[in-house]
Parts: sequence; C-alpha cells; structure tokens
Amino acid sequence: MIKIMKQLKFDALRLVIRNKSFLFFTLLMPAGFYLLFTKVMVVGSNPEMHQFYMTYMGSMTIYSGVIGAIFGVATILKNDRDKGLILLLQMTPSGSKNYYISIYTITMLLNLCAVMVLGVLARIFNNIDLSLKQYFMILLIVLVGQVPMLLLGTMMSYFKTQETLSVACNLVVFPLSIVSGLWWPISTMPSWLQGIGKVMPTYFANNLLGKAMLHDQLDLEGFYGIITWIVLMGCMTILVIKIQQKKGLRNSEA
Amino acid sequence: MKQIISVKNLNFSYGETEILKKINLTINKGEIIGLIGENGAGKTTLLNILLGLLPSKNNVQVFGNRPGSLVARKKIGSMLQGDLVLSSVRVDEFLEEVAMQYSNSIPLEQILEQLDLKKHRHKFLKELSGGLMRRVTFAQAVLNNPDLIFLDEPTVGMDAQARHIFWELIEKLREQGKTMIITSHYLEEIQQVASRLIVLQKGKFIFQGTLKELQDRHKQTVITFTSEYEKCVFAELTGIINIEKNSSQVVIKTVDGDNTLKQLLSKYPDVSNIAVEHETLEKIFLQMTTDKEQQ
Ligand SMILES: Nc1ncnc2c1ncn2[C@@H]1O[C@H](COP(=O)(O)OP(=O)(O)OP(=O)(O)O)[C@@H](O)[C@H]1O
Ligand SMILES: [Mg+2]
Repeated sequence: MIKIMKQLKFDALRLVIRNKSFLFFTLLMPAGFYLLFTKVMVVGSNPEMHQFYMTYMGSMTIYSGVIGAIFGVATILKNDRDKGLILLLQMTPSGSKNYYISIYTITMLLNLCAVMVLGVLARIFNNIDLSLKQYFMILLIVLVGQVPMLLLGTMMSYFKTQETLSVACNLVVFPLSIVSGLWWPISTMPSWLQGIGKVMPTYFANNLLGKAMLHDQLDLEGFYGIITWIVLMGCMTILVIKIQQKKGLRNSEA
Repeated sequence: MKQIISVKNLNFSYGETEILKKINLTINKGEIIGLIGENGAGKTTLLNILLGLLPSKNNVQVFGNRPGSLVARKKIGSMLQGDLVLSSVRVDEFLEEVAMQYSNSIPLEQILEQLDLKKHRHKFLKELSGGLMRRVTFAQAVLNNPDLIFLDEPTVGMDAQARHIFWELIEKLREQGKTMIITSHYLEEIQQVASRLIVLQKGKFIFQGTLKELQDRHKQTVITFTSEYEKCVFAELTGIINIEKNSSQVVIKTVDGDNTLKQLLSKYPDVSNIAVEHETLEKIFLQMTTDKEQQ
C-alpha cells in the first residue's frame, strides 16, 4: 500500500502537477465547453433549459473521462514503454503492477475532479442543485463508465509510432464523443447514426448520468451495456498484450 | 566457486536474422567479464537474454533459475545501454522510485554521496549532460546492492574525471566480491578490471580468456628505436612481421619480443632511444576482428 502511494506521488508529480497540458485537456477544456454551451451560446431559462444544464454537465464529465483515458493513458503508457520505464520496473522484484495501478488511479481521480469542477460551475452559473446521494451515484457511474475507455487507451498504447497513436486518438475521441451525444443531443443526429451512437459505452454512461440527475435514480439495467463493453474490451486488451509479448518483448532500445 | 550464470548452446534470432550462434558461457561468483565486440555484434542482445528481457529456453540459467525470475531480479542490477531520461522528474525522485522497488536498497544519501551526485540531486533528468545522466543510471543500477551487475557501455559520454571515479567504484565493487559483466568500447579501461575477456563477433565468441592469454595468442611486441641503418637490414631479425622507418625512427613489430630484442642489441649496438611495448588490446582486437572477416 505504501508502495502504491509512493508510486502515485511519483506519477502525479511528473504527469499531472508538472504537466499542465494534461490538466488543461481533462479539466479546463470540458469546463470551458460547459460554460460556452450553457452560458454564452444559449439563452432563455425555461425548465427544458434547466434540464439541459444538468445533462450537459454529465456529458462534459464523460468527455473529460474519454480525454483522460485516450489521450492521457494511451500516451503515457506508450511514452513510458518507449523510454524504458516499464522495462526497468519489470526488472525489479516489485514488477510493473504498481505502476499500472497508479496510472489508472490518477486518471480516474482526475475524472472525479472533473465531476467536482463541473458540479461547482453548474451550481454557481446555472443554479443546479444536486443532492449528496446524486453525487455518489454520479461518482459511481463515472468510475465504472471510464473502465472501457481505460482498456481502449491501454490497447492503443501499443501503436508503433507516436504519430499513428496521435492520429488514432483523434479518430477515436472526437467521432465517439459526437456520435454518442456528448457534444450535442443525440436526437439531433440522423437515425442511422443514432443507432451506432446508442451502443457506444460513452452513451450508456451519459444516459445513466442523465437519469441519476434528472430522476434521482440509479438505473441498474443501464449498467449492462457498460459491463458488456468492459468484458469485450478486457478480452481484447488481453489478446493485444499476448500478441505483443509473442512479438518479442523489447519494444525499443534507446 | 559458485556458478552464477550458465548458458548452453544458446541461439537467438530476430525474425530471420540470426544474432547469437551457439553461445556457451559459465560465469562464477566474483568474476569480472569484459565483453567486447564491434557495433552490432550482439552484446546487448546477450545481456537482455540474461536479464530475461528477451525470451530464451531452459538452456540459460541465472542464479539457478530462468532469467528474469524473482530471485534473479532481486540480485541483479543493470545499467542498460540507453538512459531513462524521463520528463519532469528530478534525480533524487528517480532514484527513490527505483529504490522503492527493492526491499534491501542502499540509502539514497549514501548513493548520492558515493557518486558525487549530491549537488545535482534536484536537477531534472532532462537538464543533465550525457555523462552525468550515465552516472545517474549507474546509481540506479547499484542501489539495490546487487550481487550481479550488468553494465552495458557504462562510460559512454563520461569525461576523464567521471570515468576515473567510475572505475574506482567498479574496483570497490570488485573487492566486495560482486560479479560483473561489462561491455565497453574503451578497451584500455576494461582490460584493467576484467578478470576474463570475451570477444564476441557476429554472434559468436571468438575468444574467451584472460588478457594475458589474449596477448599471448596474438603475441606482438612493438620495438621503437633510433638508427641510421636502412630499414631492410632489420628484416633478418627473428620474429619480425613489420618494419617502418620515419626519418631516423624505426618501429618494428615482432612475435618474439625477447629474442628480437636480444639480437637487435648484439648486432646493432649503436641503436638508441629504445622503447618496448606490448601490442595494445585495442590493436589486437582490431586485428582479430578483421582477420576473421577476411577468412
Ligand atoms: N529489436 C530488434 N529487432 C531486430 N533486430 C535487432 C533488434 N535489436 C537489435 N537488433 C539487431 O541485432 C544485432 C545485435 O544488436 P546488439 O544491440 O546486441 O549489438 P551490440 O553488440 O550491443 O552493438 P553496440 O556495440 O552497437 O551496442 C544488430 O544487428 C541489431 O541490428
Ligand atoms: Mg549494445
């Protein structure tokens, strides 16, 4: 446990606290979007708008989680693997387990921070008042909902070059966010696209968040979709790792 | 003597390319192995197999286990060929991170002190010069007080003073009975610490033995002196393989140093400024590798 805490401190310092761009993309940008779409671009204050202020807060939280998992985790894992940090840890008695725990924990904590930041903004600017119970539901959904994305990010970290990874990240994050209705309501999209959007893991999470905020209920059935994705992505990740190990262990030599 | 590494008939290929061919190697406790070979000979590949970073069958044993086993990981320290230059990490943070992975690591302060890194401890790794970073990597390799140390081109980029400090530390480690495998292109320095030299060429060991054995096998003595005679007169001396003359300075190479010198002095008593040297490891090595290539 002490080792994990120390590892967390080591990673948080180098990856988050001394690397402001990570904070910018995972916290500031979703917060900026939230304010932009709820304060600047939209006017009027009928009950429908109030609902939108709430659900959009949820969407931006999920969006932040996607950014953290895909741009964050995938890039961090790739960098550390290319540089040889993971290799170095694997050569020690403790192995690389604590390292992975630490990276995932940091990413999840950042996503929880996004809940807090967006919650505060929603409260100050849009009078959104959520109960403690609702916050707990939100935290639970956000954590579980990010798991498929963390697995995807882990798989993507095995792309050969930095360039392909960066292209792939963009190709995943933006279409996924749009199609699953994180940026603007899914109902505004053509029905065939909605069909795709509605099976995306981010759609399930976003939908669950909406229900928790609007109706104060935890829709357990809504978790089935996410769990299916976790199983699917989990199996694929194991496969990818197995293939990588077969290919020869060393991915780089500086 | 306790056997630490045993390799029997090891072959290794990357895809279709054969890198190591039928390698046999036994290393006992306390030995210092100087592993030398040209770029691409397979030195790093061999070390990586011993570390368990590349796959091997059960013909490779380290501390009686397969490479990369927990026992081996506890007892090995390694300085890989590349440095781990992490972004936004300070020297002491990096060393602490590595130390944390072991239960028996040497106190950080002691390591910093020994390697003269105290004044650099708060610097970011990215700010360090190549030689300084190499020293940090060395610190990382020895901070678990390992019994077996792999050093892959440890002194690359170090200046004369840093190199001196480094070899002194290696000497201390040797006195403590540590076992080491060192690869280097600076043959002059490696020959001083190594108890056994191994020459690896194109994936094969073309020599294993002490420096003395290597020199005996390629026994060549270089005799330099001043003389007014034509250079061809010296060709009749025994053992001569090469003569060069530059104004009055003559340089002869011989495979039988003692007798050549005796004859030289008795036949040409007027030669002066005599200097006798054994051929350096560097030259022997160059000669060996080119000889083999011609075959
Ligand atoms: N990951 C890899 N994939 C394919 N070939 C590789 C890989 N790594 C090394 N090689 C090849 O294996 C051969 C041996 O490389 P190795 O790094 O072991 O040489 P070395 O003796 O350490 O050389 P140097 O003195 O330059 O460090 C080289 O021809 C190299 O090109
Ligand atoms: Mg090498």
